[in-house]
Amino acid sequence: MISSRQRALVEFLLDNLVWLMLIVVLAVFSLTIPNYFQIGIFANIIEQSTFVGVMAIGLAIVVIAGNMDLSIESTAALSAMITGILFASHGIGIGFTTTPSWLVLPLSLGIALFVGAIIGALNGFLVVKLKMNAFIVTLAAYIWVRGLVVAISGGRSAQDLAPEIRFMAIKTFLYIPYIAWVAILCFAVFTFIMRKMPFGRHITMIGGNAVATFRAGIRVDRLVAISFVLAGAISGLAGWLLAIRTSGATANLGVGMLFNAFAAVVIGGVSLKGGIGQLPGVYAGVLLIYSIHTAINLMGLPAHYTQMILGGMVLAAVLLDTAKLQIRQKLA
Amino acid sequence: MTEQTPLLRLDNITRNFGAIEALRGVSFDISRGEVVALLGDNGAGKSTLVKIISGGLEATSGRMIFDGEERMFNSPAEAKAAGIETVYQDLSLCTNVDVVANFFMGREIVKRYFGIPVLQEKAMYDAVEKAITNAGTRIPSLRTNVEHLSGGQRQAIELNRFVHWGGKLVLLDEPFAALGVEQTRRGLEMIKRVAAQGIGVVVITHIMAQAFQVADRMVVIRQGKVAGDVRRDDTSPDEVIRMITGEAMIGRAQEKKPPLHA
Repeated sequence: MISSRQRALVEFLLDNLVWLMLIVVLAVFSLTIPNYFQIGIFANIIEQSTFVGVMAIGLAIVVIAGNMDLSIESTAALSAMITGILFASHGIGIGFTTTPSWLVLPLSLGIALFVGAIIGALNGFLVVKLKMNAFIVTLAAYIWVRGLVVAISGGRSAQDLAPEIRFMAIKTFLYIPYIAWVAILCFAVFTFIMRKMPFGRHITMIGGNAVATFRAGIRVDRLVAISFVLAGAISGLAGWLLAIRTSGATANLGVGMLFNAFAAVVIGGVSLKGGIGQLPGVYAGVLLIYSIHTAINLMGLPAHYTQMILGGMVLAAVLLDTAKLQIRQKLA
Repeated sequence: MTEQTPLLRLDNITRNFGAIEALRGVSFDISRGEVVALLGDNGAGKSTLVKIISGGLEATSGRMIFDGEERMFNSPAEAKAAGIETVYQDLSLCTNVDVVANFFMGREIVKRYFGIPVLQEKAMYDAVEKAITNAGTRIPSLRTNVEHLSGGQRQAIELNRFVHWGGKLVLLDEPFAALGVEQTRRGLEMIKRVAAQGIGVVVITHIMAQAFQVADRMVVIRQGKVAGDVRRDDTSPDEVIRMITGEAMIGRAQEKKPPLHA
């Protein structure tokens, strides 16, 4: 038997393991890789983490509720493409403008969120009402939504967003561009929702024991559906940010981000069994992935190595998840 | 017991699962402040009946009059809103969150800031601490996740939860299955205390001694029908056991003898 204080300490470390890993990795890279330790590099890591980071929020919420959403990457691409087609002025963009001109910012954001929410709502409907397996439903969406992106773009791209939107990726505050601040703000807001609001509490409990929450009078189906809509809308936001960053959209925009988001969620300590996980940990997971990315770039290694390391890290994270569970059981 | 409209009247409730008739017309009443022990062999239909009353399952036919109104609950949320609390046989706890969160599951105390509901952890913690202390249950820390607690402690949380929330009618499905001797005694006391507040209580149990200790009336379910409905003072454990096993179809049974199956 160990004292409750020791147990609290071990639990705290287990819960925040990913932050510890991030600090260690950054320290090691800073000491061993020339030019790694500078503000510009760290700001760049945070900027790169924006898109996968935002996507990972939605994925994490769905996974914590005990489900799965593989469609986030394609949903983001669809939102980005629709933003590009409507508001970019070259390529397939139709260059839609508004008076006053600043209105394009909220308008494009609203459309991107709406597009994402619709895909999410469809996923939610199929999972909740038709009782289809979430893995299959969202895998199908991953495929058909990407197909839709290629179809509406004809494989071509849209370029040049209006400066009223573009400034989000150019202007910086404390070395970090506005779009990255949007991601950080999202993490803060959704951390609050998950920790301090009944919605987050209920989502967590549904992931732990859906039958118990149903019996307690919580509207499980409704909340699970909302989690999918949220994941879709958040992916829409990620797509909007992506379109701003690239000042337009291409048909293969964001390919591969799903696996990064997935890796971040798992590395960040979200259990695939549902009910366990913290959003700040997920953000740390994203930062960790892009820290390694940046290190590989700086060392001049081919990008394939990133994928190999990432794959290894996902395996390690799942292994860690199991190990943590065993440690917790021993503590009990 | 005063003669008034019963708290809950079940009128010819049936439930089929495909070709299987789990309930074949169950009727009985529960008054306010009355403790009814629901007895019966495995598979007699007790749990099915509890699920129908608590909104977890729909009846195939029949009527339910609760608190003077004809009701059929389509979800546990509706039943709960009407004042029916249920403690299930397989515990209804989320082991991935702490004791406080479980206690307030679905009924969290919130305060609205600009319309945004925010959980009031301190207020909930204090309420749980009070309820747990009053019941004499010992739990090392209310902030521990339930997965770290023993079976007895988990059941104690469930029992304290229903005592705290009260309502009008409480359904207990084998509530003492995982409890020790002392905790069971406390649990039985808790039931009496709850009933004394005018709340109707239905206890499903297998243990005759418990039923006789706590219940005012015994309702025996056999093969989906009421095989006996007797006041505790008018019967004996042996007689109840005969009703459960079907050895005696005594005159006090509400229903006529069920037709024999070919």
